[in-house]
Amino acid sequence: MLGWKFKACTVMLAGLVPNAALAQVTPVTVVAVPQLSTPDNVATSAGDTGLLARYVADVITSDLRSSRELMPIGPQNARVYSYPEATAPSFTQWRTTGAKALVTGFVQARSDGRITIACYLHDIPGAREIARKGFVVAPGEWRRAAHRCSDAVYEKLAGRPGSFDTRIAYVAESGSKNARVKRIALMDSDGTSHRYLSSGDNTVLTPRLSPGGQYLAYVSYAGGQPHVRLIDLESNEDRPLLPGNAMSFAPRFSADGKRMLFAMADGGNTDVYAANTDGTALLRLTTSPGIDTAPSFSPDGSKIVFESDRSGTEQLYVMNADGSDPRRLSFGGARYASPSWSPDGERIAFTRIAGDGLRIGVIAPSGSDERILTTGPQDEGPSWAASSRDVLFQRSDAFGRTVLSVVSVDGGNPRSIVTPQDGSDPDWSTGAK
Amino acid sequence: MRRTILAGLVAIALSRGAFAAAQLPLPPITIEMMQADLAARSGSDTVYFAGSSHGIDAAGQATLTAQATWLLAHPEVRARIEGHADERTPRDYALAIGERRASAVRDFLVLQGVPDAQLTIISWGKERPAVAGTSEMALALNRRVSTVLMR
Repeated sequence: MLGWKFKACTVMLAGLVPNAALAQVTPVTVVAVPQLSTPDNVATSAGDTGLLARYVADVITSDLRSSRELMPIGPQNARVYSYPEATAPSFTQWRTTGAKALVTGFVQARSDGRITIACYLHDIPGAREIARKGFVVAPGEWRRAAHRCSDAVYEKLAGRPGSFDTRIAYVAESGSKNARVKRIALMDSDGTSHRYLSSGDNTVLTPRLSPGGQYLAYVSYAGGQPHVRLIDLESNEDRPLLPGNAMSFAPRFSADGKRMLFAMADGGNTDVYAANTDGTALLRLTTSPGIDTAPSFSPDGSKIVFESDRSGTEQLYVMNADGSDPRRLSFGGARYASPSWSPDGERIAFTRIAGDGLRIGVIAPSGSDERILTTGPQDEGPSWAASSRDVLFQRSDAFGRTVLSVVSVDGGNPRSIVTPQDGSDPDWSTGAK
Repeated sequence: MRRTILAGLVAIALSRGAFAAAQLPLPPITIEMMQADLAARSGSDTVYFAGSSHGIDAAGQATLTAQATWLLAHPEVRARIEGHADERTPRDYALAIGERRASAVRDFLVLQGVPDAQLTIISWGKERPAVAGTSEMALALNRRVSTVLMR
């Protein structure tokens, strides 16, 4: 019989969340993730298919465990089912585990040196398959296939896109505070495949991934003036967004990846601009004499949220994509900065600045339902997960160390993302990479 | 008051005379020496700002007026006006406010007669704090614009 002792099918998380006043009660679905099967244990360039079958289940378990909505029961105590059972599991046996859903699959070597990784999601009480994914990949790509299985499972069970097969771009920091070495870094959202995209010779800031993941926009001091640059991650070409020597910063892509928003400063006046990713079709969107910066598109591209001090202090404003009809969004008796529109369009994350420091919060685009998610005192730069359920941000501690952290929009304690060095300015890709 | 000025003039005259009399080759003047000279004669090479403001207070105006005098006396030296924000300012706004402060200082110096072409500006946002930490003192010392001389 199965070795699991777990009985409850739904666990209420409320007791586990320290900040219960902020947290909504989230029902948790238990998902069984036994080791995948293999029709034939064949050696590949990344290891035997039987071993990869275990690795894939481990990654799916690890991915699902980082979500609020799903509780995976991993492969460590489960029996290994046979290959035919991947598509036709014995539901009566799985029912005794108490799990509501079951992930099965197989890893199979192909004659061309690649492998097939397939995964199936089953509804245990209903005794039926509810989702499936299949990939033919190089053996070394097994991890990415596992993440995409996790995304399929999460999307089906939680009803929102997963963010496991996504990447995080951020600024890796080292050295003393007044001579900081900063490099653009890129990693998978589980911390693997970490690499640096700049050498540290120039100060670099605010990397932003394009929705398709092909481009990375960032700010560089190369040549003296800070300016927006674009890296093509496929060809490694690195070029300025605009010709000339203007000071430009705060880049962000539109949801279709074709347009960029950014800020440009001249003579003490900063305004919001838009341009195509090749620098053409440049359009000035704000004309106030104050500072207008940190623009972010709504997912449908019709609106832009940005930060402006036209009222005297920094506040959030929403305007149409052509710059018309700006209206103030934030009235919370503090300063508000660095807005970011969620992928589902439902919320805008921001940094709130008050006497007790900088904190991350969210607000509805209508201006209602403002909530502060973190305790500060030095939390800033929010970026959304594809699920629109989690917000990634940077947190500095009393010793000046800066780490990447994730907090749920339902509140609760943030969790840290481990990086090799200090990390700042995180950006979470929202589309497939 | 008058005695102080007279004493100063005598001191300058004596020092010039001493150089001329000794006929020693002058040591090469480095940009660091000039920077120290600018700071000493102007009171500081840096001016400070309150809160999110870019307004130059009376102390800052006095410093910048002296800096303008120095720059007018050294037309061959270019200056980069570097604007900074404190760490409690989010990244993008820090870049913008650093530029606005640097522009305010550049405009003040130009009004004092310094040629526009002698000056460039740059914003460091909060990337180059003078003092680490987030104490009120550290924040105040980092909200600044420095006049940095360049060959």
